[in-house]
Amino acid sequence: MLHAPPGADPDRMRIEFLEQGPATLVVNRERTLVVADLHFGIESDLARHGWHFSSRSLERLHRVTDLVDRFRPDRLLLLGDVKQSVPFTTRQEWRELPEVLAAFRARAPLLVVPGNHDPGIERLLRPEELAERTGVVVDGVGYLHGHTLPAPCLAGLLVLVGHHHPLAAIQDEVGCAVRTPAYLVGELDGPCLGLPPAGRPTRVLFTPAFNELAGYDVQRIVTAPFSPVSRCLKRETVEVLLADGTLLGPIEALAPPDRGGGEVSAG
Amino acid sequence: MTALDRLDPRIRQTIAERGFAGLSEAQELAIPEVLAGRHLLLIAPTGTGKTESAMLPVFHGLLSTKSAGFSAIYITPLRALNRDILLRMEWWCAALGLRAGVRHGDTTQAERRRQALHPPDLLITTPESLQALFMGKTLKRHLTGVRYVIVDEVHELAGSKRGAQLSVALERIRTYAGEFQRIGLSATVGNPGEVGRFLCGPHRPCRVVAVPVAKSLDLSVVYAGDRFEAQARCVERALDPSGSNLVFTNTRVTAEALGHALFRRGDIEVHHGSLSREVRIDAEERFKRGELGTLICTSSMELGIDIGHVEHVVQFGSPREVARLVQRVGRAGHRLSAISRGTILATGFDDLLESGVIVRRAMAGELEPVRIPYGAADVLANQVAALAVEHGEIDLAQVRAILGRTAVFPEPDPLLERVVAEMAGHRLLRVEGDRLVTTARARRYLMGNLSMIHDERKVQVFDLASRRTVGTLDESFVVGTIDPGSVFITKGQLWRVLEVEEGRITVEPARRAKGELPSWEGEQIPVPFAVAREVGGLRRTRRIGDYIGSRRAIHYAEHVLDEMDRNRSVIPTDRTITLENAEEGVVCNICAGHRANEVIARVLSLLLSARYGTSVGIEIDAYRCLLRLPKSLGAADVQETLLSLDPAHIRGLLEIGLKRTALYKWKLVQVAKKFGAIDPDADYERISIHRLSDLFDRTVVQQETYRELFEEYMDVESAVEIVSAVHAGTIEVVTTQVSLLGASGLFSSRDLVPPESADTAILATVKRRIDDSEVVLCCMNCRRWKQKTRVSRVEERPQCPVCSARLIAALKPWDEPLYAVANRKTKSPEDREVEKRLLRNANIVLSSGKKAVIALSGRGVGPEHASRILGTLAEGDQFYRQILKAERQYIQTRHFW
Repeated sequence: MLHAPPGADPDRMRIEFLEQGPATLVVNRERTLVVADLHFGIESDLARHGWHFSSRSLERLHRVTDLVDRFRPDRLLLLGDVKQSVPFTTRQEWRELPEVLAAFRARAPLLVVPGNHDPGIERLLRPEELAERTGVVVDGVGYLHGHTLPAPCLAGLLVLVGHHHPLAAIQDEVGCAVRTPAYLVGELDGPCLGLPPAGRPTRVLFTPAFNELAGYDVQRIVTAPFSPVSRCLKRETVEVLLADGTLLGPIEALAPPDRGGGEVSAG
Repeated sequence: MTALDRLDPRIRQTIAERGFAGLSEAQELAIPEVLAGRHLLLIAPTGTGKTESAMLPVFHGLLSTKSAGFSAIYITPLRALNRDILLRMEWWCAALGLRAGVRHGDTTQAERRRQALHPPDLLITTPESLQALFMGKTLKRHLTGVRYVIVDEVHELAGSKRGAQLSVALERIRTYAGEFQRIGLSATVGNPGEVGRFLCGPHRPCRVVAVPVAKSLDLSVVYAGDRFEAQARCVERALDPSGSNLVFTNTRVTAEALGHALFRRGDIEVHHGSLSREVRIDAEERFKRGELGTLICTSSMELGIDIGHVEHVVQFGSPREVARLVQRVGRAGHRLSAISRGTILATGFDDLLESGVIVRRAMAGELEPVRIPYGAADVLANQVAALAVEHGEIDLAQVRAILGRTAVFPEPDPLLERVVAEMAGHRLLRVEGDRLVTTARARRYLMGNLSMIHDERKVQVFDLASRRTVGTLDESFVVGTIDPGSVFITKGQLWRVLEVEEGRITVEPARRAKGELPSWEGEQIPVPFAVAREVGGLRRTRRIGDYIGSRRAIHYAEHVLDEMDRNRSVIPTDRTITLENAEEGVVCNICAGHRANEVIARVLSLLLSARYGTSVGIEIDAYRCLLRLPKSLGAADVQETLLSLDPAHIRGLLEIGLKRTALYKWKLVQVAKKFGAIDPDADYERISIHRLSDLFDRTVVQQETYRELFEEYMDVESAVEIVSAVHAGTIEVVTTQVSLLGASGLFSSRDLVPPESADTAILATVKRRIDDSEVVLCCMNCRRWKQKTRVSRVEERPQCPVCSARLIAALKPWDEPLYAVANRKTKSPEDREVEKRLLRNANIVLSSGKKAVIALSGRGVGPEHASRILGTLAEGDQFYRQILKAERQYIQTRHFW
């Protein structure tokens, strides 16, 4: 059943972090596979901005269908920015997208929360596959692409959000070891977003982009917010998780130990 | 009959008008060869009338038979040279009734049109403007008349991708003009035959005529002191009082600093590539007229710009290469058969010994070979696109034939097929059967890529603290490596990146050398393997006097070696490698030159990073490399890694490991640009670079990146030689404490080799988080003491200061109220449950101490989980991995959400 009301059994709910996506499997009464920011057709957009790669759509498609085949969800939820081009849909997209969506549909019921890159996508979807841009509650969890103000129904819930493409840089003692997709989790300032009081905090989980060409440093998401949701994030509550669910800790834990410290040493 | 007699009488008369006393040796030797119609490579020092050696017989040919279009093309690598050559050629042409024209980037539209309508007999141009000729309809037609192509400073071009591009262009001219005569003018090189083949292709005979330079050299080395003020005074003392001094420095920064220090003399100017054209020309003219006594210059003056007579050449710091020294000093003594006098001012111990070795090699004529880039895939891509645009469509067989006549692509396949496939993927051409067809993109690409020079957009580095621009970085470098939070070095200082926006990086000064990223201060001249080995030998034999005459210099070198002895330091030589434990890491003293050390340092860091899961920072110079390591690793670990390294695996290891480094990413972006995969004005904000290097996996772009890295930046062969000698025992390896020599390096290139998996970094991050988290300790014995602290400050065996018991519960800050609940006088069943949990918690701390406190500080880790973790008896990283595992389970569940 789609658009399920909140109030699912709290003891059963689990979130599995699928590193090979990166994607998220939300298990409550049903199993929802969440894939954010696919950006199909990114290659032709990049070509207009000076980057010429051959299309990687097929590889990306297989990465999604492999996950669906393996985890057998009750639905596949695309958390916005399924396609790349705005305001027009490019030839690459018209060619590739119908096949992509058909491949998804053949495996699991589809639900799309449209993102800022998705105008026109409704023409490729069935009516029941299209959710509100301002967010939707499915099986007790909220879903929002993240470029708009959230709908009041998301207040007090855990809300999965795309749009921000978080990427964490992890340092060791010598230097930067790796840059890797990551999650950010934290509490939202409800009044800042115009959310009604809900008796408990609204928590948000920024999910990494599935598209491998996208990524944005987590520190900048917090220090230079560019969306309503990131602007109304309570900074002191924010924590970083890796794509496999490893808790790294607060943002400050990412910085090397000497960051801004009073220690002086020869260098 | 002398060479002069065989020239056209009009030319002989003009020679007399020009005031030539007679022909120079170079001219005597070269003129008959050219008159005989042979392809010729003429090797002679600057100022020996090299240009006329080629041009007098060419004029003879032009006067005897007229042809339509450009009859002769004169190619020089520098616009500044064009201007100079043009002045001279215009004079000759005017006297002989011929027309000369120049065409390069600065040529006006009107002049270009005139050349299209009335082609000059002699066209003077650059390799890049030559490329543009093939794009114009009329200009292409004028190419049918070409009978002579003269390539000036061919040694300079042959060693670069520009030269490889030119060699294809020469074969493209042949398509229109048929075979023409080729004349190359070159400075002394170690491999004249190979340079000749580069000029003429593998199938045409090329005569090499060489006028030796070494016999006329007068070289000396002095020690200039280690402080800059002293060095500047030394420069001043070295200047010839009669004037006409050229002072060469290795960098623009040094040139500027010297110019500043000597400015008060009033007869000194600075001359380098960053100065505007007007300033440079003005300096050249004033020097020529004798108004300036001294020009301080960089490689800008190496090529044969005519600046009149030079009495004395001063080289500031080691010239690094023998060929470079010979070429620079060759600028002195321009009167025919005069002696060229040069002085090297050495600025340190390495510099001094290196200068001595280079002087010996120069006198013995042991010059480095020019390294010709064979099979450069990006040059091939560029020229295939150029051919498609030039012809609209072209048979692959014809492309193969053109390439096959060059020395750089003698057997174009299978590389050609891969390149064509890649370019078809970028829509730079279409493949229709056996034909290549141009596309709309191809012409645009070509207009932006006429040159193989990486004409980089520069990114400004803006210091927020001082609110000023502190320098610029190559854009490709920024794209590959710089992200907010990262630290890099430029201008000898550490900077932390705050923000990267289009065209600008905002930084703040960083304090520590930790977490340091690569630095690029422009590309440095590498010291060749053979020179570094000989320096190592000189350190061993200590026969400084065999190399250097100056008593003061010998005394200084001996003093440094004595000081090493007094400190009981082991002196690294050609037969001894020392691995020294230093504050920042391990200094590996290896006398092998930049390129071989680059290989050894990178392979060691890859192995260390794989074995210990840590990043390793590397810094390299000709005699040592510094491996920045975590504190837990030392010289013994490096020694073990070096001794267990199989030389046969070096290249393979590098191919796998290089991919993660800044150097690779930087080169990859440059090559991808030349392939048209990245436009010159690409918008970097559009793409996340963390996966950039993966996008080119297994492509020919990646292949070319590796080729260039292995050919130009790394000397695997020499590194293998060194490592093999270590295994054979002919080079011993000693571990020791940091020495004077080890600490004295001025490192010229830096990089960071990250580990394959970030496991160690993740654990370090998690440890930091747990260490930093708050914990409330409360005594479960007397029930009267609690204290909030951080995990890092908890003692090994926490104890209650009130009752001295060790029954201490460790609570998370938000669980603090539970202590009061557990201490209630009257307890509900739930309260009793809480008390039981706290007692369990305290019992774990009692038996396992701080380790238990750490486990209990894991998110969602209660007493049950904690005792399970402690029960595994895991230590160190394994212990933290157990905590991570417990946290991951917790985070998946609703308790966290």
